Amino acid sequence: MRFGGEPYLVITAGEEVMTKTVEVNVHHVTRVEGHGNITLRASDGNIEKVEWQVPEAPRFFEAMVRGRSYEDIQTIVSRICGICSVTHSFAAIKAIEAAMDIKVSKQTDNIRMLLHYGEQLESHALHVGYLVAPDLLGQNSVIPLAKSHPDVVKTVIRLHRLGNTIMEVLGGRMTHPVTVKPGGFTVLPTEAQLLELKQMMEDSVPDITTLADVVLSLADKLPVFERETEYIALVEPKHYSFYHGDIGSTDTDEVKPVNEFESVVNEYVTPQSTAKWAKWHRDSYMVGALARYNLGADHLLPLAGKIARKFGLKKGCCNPYMNNVAQVIECAQVAEHSLQLIDEVISAGIKDEKPDVKVQAGNGAGAVEAPRGILFHRYEFDEKGICTGANLCIPTNQNHGNIQKDFEAFAPQIIDREQNEIRLLLEMLVRAYDPCISCSTHYLDVEFI
Amino acid sequence: MKQAIVIIGLGNILMSDEGIGVRVAQKLQTCEGVLQDVEVIEAGTAGMGILHAIAGRQKVVFVDCAMMKEEPGMMRRFTPGDVISNKSLPGRSLHEGDLLDILELSRQLGDCPFEVVIYGIEPRSTAPGEELSPQLASRLADYVETVLAEIRNASGG
Repeated sequence: MRFGGEPYLVITAGEEVMTKTVEVNVHHVTRVEGHGNITLRASDGNIEKVEWQVPEAPRFFEAMVRGRSYEDIQTIVSRICGICSVTHSFAAIKAIEAAMDIKVSKQTDNIRMLLHYGEQLESHALHVGYLVAPDLLGQNSVIPLAKSHPDVVKTVIRLHRLGNTIMEVLGGRMTHPVTVKPGGFTVLPTEAQLLELKQMMEDSVPDITTLADVVLSLADKLPVFERETEYIALVEPKHYSFYHGDIGSTDTDEVKPVNEFESVVNEYVTPQSTAKWAKWHRDSYMVGALARYNLGADHLLPLAGKIARKFGLKKGCCNPYMNNVAQVIECAQVAEHSLQLIDEVISAGIKDEKPDVKVQAGNGAGAVEAPRGILFHRYEFDEKGICTGANLCIPTNQNHGNIQKDFEAFAPQIIDREQNEIRLLLEMLVRAYDPCISCSTHYLDVEFI
Repeated sequence: MKQAIVIIGLGNILMSDEGIGVRVAQKLQTCEGVLQDVEVIEAGTAGMGILHAIAGRQKVVFVDCAMMKEEPGMMRRFTPGDVISNKSLPGRSLHEGDLLDILELSRQLGDCPFEVVIYGIEPRSTAPGEELSPQLASRLADYVETVLAEIRNASGG
């Protein structure tokens, strides 16, 4: 089994010739789900080529759901990614509900958000702890980190486990949830289970604070690089949004309804990449934790706000490396909001609701914030509820163009540095986006000894 | 309280034979009464979640699709010490990494079960599709029986 992306990392950093030429070729960036190549060639300080090369994420999932019942869609799309399985599930379910005009209760909404937060917490802990911390602590992966900084790794693992437990309790298992359906849940948590989760969530606060302090102590190792960027995320008037809302942008006060997401994404083809890029008001935009922060920081809950102030992260920050910091802040945000949601569900009394669906023909879109940015799904169904068309637009695809634009702006600023440092800085930039380039095959690949 | 023995089926059932571990686990989950005191987890592509699923166990049995240069459909039993990963290259990572990396991290954290067994099944195809290749589909019952025998031996029964 492989957990996303190509298994091969081949770094062929070229020799410096006469101290004039720099050539960096990173084939398949390590510590990123999926593969992507970084190519940089420069001579006498002039950048001849700097490219972020990725293939188009496979679109066969869209073909796979065509001809299938609306009841099967969530089960299928939850398998697209092991890390974003809840997010894909909810984007699909919300799209189906929009297409068939299915309304859900406040209880369903609240428990869904709670489950969604489990995935956010799990993914952010994974990204910051396993992928970013090794960069900041000078290790090439989390494995040596477990020896050199065991307390850091154990803190991260406890947070990851909490997210995992939330998904097991509410989703029915640790990934690929089985309890979530259009209209509601097939199995609801008991009050005792929710209270247990609440206790675990309260107990996690010191770990979140520790994680924040660790990253804060290393924050000076995050490169200083700013480029004016358009940030796009779900927005709500009074909340920091992960699940509800319209599509907002830092470039405009105008918001778009989710049903018009194609007019935001505006996918286009570029010669240098087989992946389509996305643009709204500029050539590219960024989605993810920093985008959510830049659009929703006014609505942070107290602990998240306190951590944000510790970092001095200002709304409007346009340093993509600070996406990592925004993820740490979001760990606190989802923990705090989870506590509120649990209280709300329990105080209202858990009602034994079952999904109520009247199948009808229709077309609908759904959006939720994946840990790595806004995710859109659209489906069309006939009168029997059979899917006749699908369009899935993942956050990583939306970020590709922006990574390239960052490369173009950042490479000239660092071109006089050591070749290995340049390579690392560009790799870290890609990792900061927390990309997930469709993890579709996962097998072991072994030699017997 | 966790059961001492856990069987974990891994893979992506949207990618044909890649999902063979999941298919085996799903069959095993229907073997009620046969697998007392053994937990069967269909973990899909859970990745790091495996760390938590195996922590505190005595024995874990994985079933997974594996490139082993064998005939398609061949099942081989091995332990992490029997193999080297072709993915274990400099700068390897857990996020993109593989089961062997996760087991190594688990070992370093002191959470790894005493006994780790992996049943690898050579795929014929890992292309998109929800069906197993005939070479694997026809042997599904054999794979299940092999894993059951592993558990019977572990239980001394």
